[in-house]
Amino acid sequence: MIRPRSPWRPVSLAFAFLAVLLLAGCSSHLKQAKFHYSEGQLRTRAYETAQAAASYKRALLEAEKAVRSNPSAQAFMLKGLAEAGLEKWPDAEKSFLQAFALGFAEGEEWARDVSLLGLGSSLDELGLKDAALRSLADLVERAKFKPVRTEAARRYVDLSLAAASGLDEKERTRALAAVARTLEKLIDGDFACGFYHYLLSQTESHREDYRKSFEEAAIARELGLPSEKVLRDNDLQILYIHEKMKERLSPDDGKAFDELYARWTRKWGWKDPLTPNWKRE
Amino acid sequence: MDKKRAEHVLDNGVKVLAEFLPLKTYIYFPVLYSICVWAVRRIFDLKERVLAWQVWLEPGMVESKPDAFILNFFERTEGVREAFAEEVRGKDMAALRKSFAGLYPVCGLEDAFLLALFQEDLEAGEFRKIADEFGERAARAIEDIKPAGSGQEFWRGMQSVGMEMARLGIHVMSDAQVRKIILDRIRKKVKKDED
Repeated sequence: MIRPRSPWRPVSLAFAFLAVLLLAGCSSHLKQAKFHYSEGQLRTRAYETAQAAASYKRALLEAEKAVRSNPSAQAFMLKGLAEAGLEKWPDAEKSFLQAFALGFAEGEEWARDVSLLGLGSSLDELGLKDAALRSLADLVERAKFKPVRTEAARRYVDLSLAAASGLDEKERTRALAAVARTLEKLIDGDFACGFYHYLLSQTESHREDYRKSFEEAAIARELGLPSEKVLRDNDLQILYIHEKMKERLSPDDGKAFDELYARWTRKWGWKDPLTPNWKRE
Repeated sequence: MDKKRAEHVLDNGVKVLAEFLPLKTYIYFPVLYSICVWAVRRIFDLKERVLAWQVWLEPGMVESKPDAFILNFFERTEGVREAFAEEVRGKDMAALRKSFAGLYPVCGLEDAFLLALFQEDLEAGEFRKIADEFGERAARAIEDIKPAGSGQEFWRGMQSVGMEMARLGIHVMSDAQVRKIILDRIRKKVKKDED
């Protein structure tokens, strides 16, 4: 028996087709967001800050589209990650909370980490340095979201070093040792993070332990740093330490250090031992 | 390298800049110089690079340096050493630290855009001026380029300058030659407009 053809059938088909298209669109926005976010991470690791920022911006645009068309935990999580990549911390916090509300279990913790980072900055801007330091130290120790832990570590080190410079010799030594201990703990937990070694190298130069500072700067360069700016600062630190070591070492030890230093700088492709490849003639 | 052809390419670049940023002639040199520096390294993703200029003004590195590091920077950096000889001799760390904040990104970290932005002052040895005006001038340049940044035509124009300069073999020119040829073309255009 032939069933009569429903007058609604073409309309239903059109709706079904539209729904498939819309879903495909959502998933393609998510896919695009993931692709651009991964691209941003790769660029960050290659010190290509400019391209990394551009990739995070593209990831954010796609994630925003995905959130508009199909608000899911994954879409909000990607939006938050892209915002964190661009250091839009308050926006990232909101996105992680929304991701948590939609079932992303870690979202709440990540949002709290981002919120505490914002609190640390606000306290610092208001001149409440001690409170800012305590809040950042807590974050360095406990943050689950790595971009927050790394940024908190930088701010903690910067603030601690600035505060230590105003202390008397004994207090200063104690304060700098505490910063170094915190960083060593971070390195124990994540040895492959070049940025932590950079931070320790900076701290050790405040402690005038130049050999250790050199070692950490060399490891940082080998493991990779998050931006060209930090890479160049690390290179200038290496040049500075080289000079300081030459002042301190005996002629024999100085010669041995020079040989080691020359081997490293050749490996990094410097124009000569005193000229990093990015330096103008 | 075909100098006439290079001049022609740069003239086109100045024309695009004049069209999109008619009243901001001070920014032409930093833009064209950065493009030429990147062209030597065969980098043409200009939009992304320009977007990153802001990154250079934001923190990301450890800003708190020991006195010895700051002193070493002033002692070892040519030009800066002479300009701040008195403060270095007297180890006036308060004054040196204040000036370091503006001078280190330009003379230490050497970003192509910042170098070009302060080119005239660098050539004139006006290191104190750079230190005093760094924050305000760098922030203004970034604000001023924003209106042009939204036009695709602008980026296409700039990209073709970079690609053409790379094709012509800009790498054979010294840094000083590159700076001179760009400045000559900008001055020519400004003079023509004034006449």
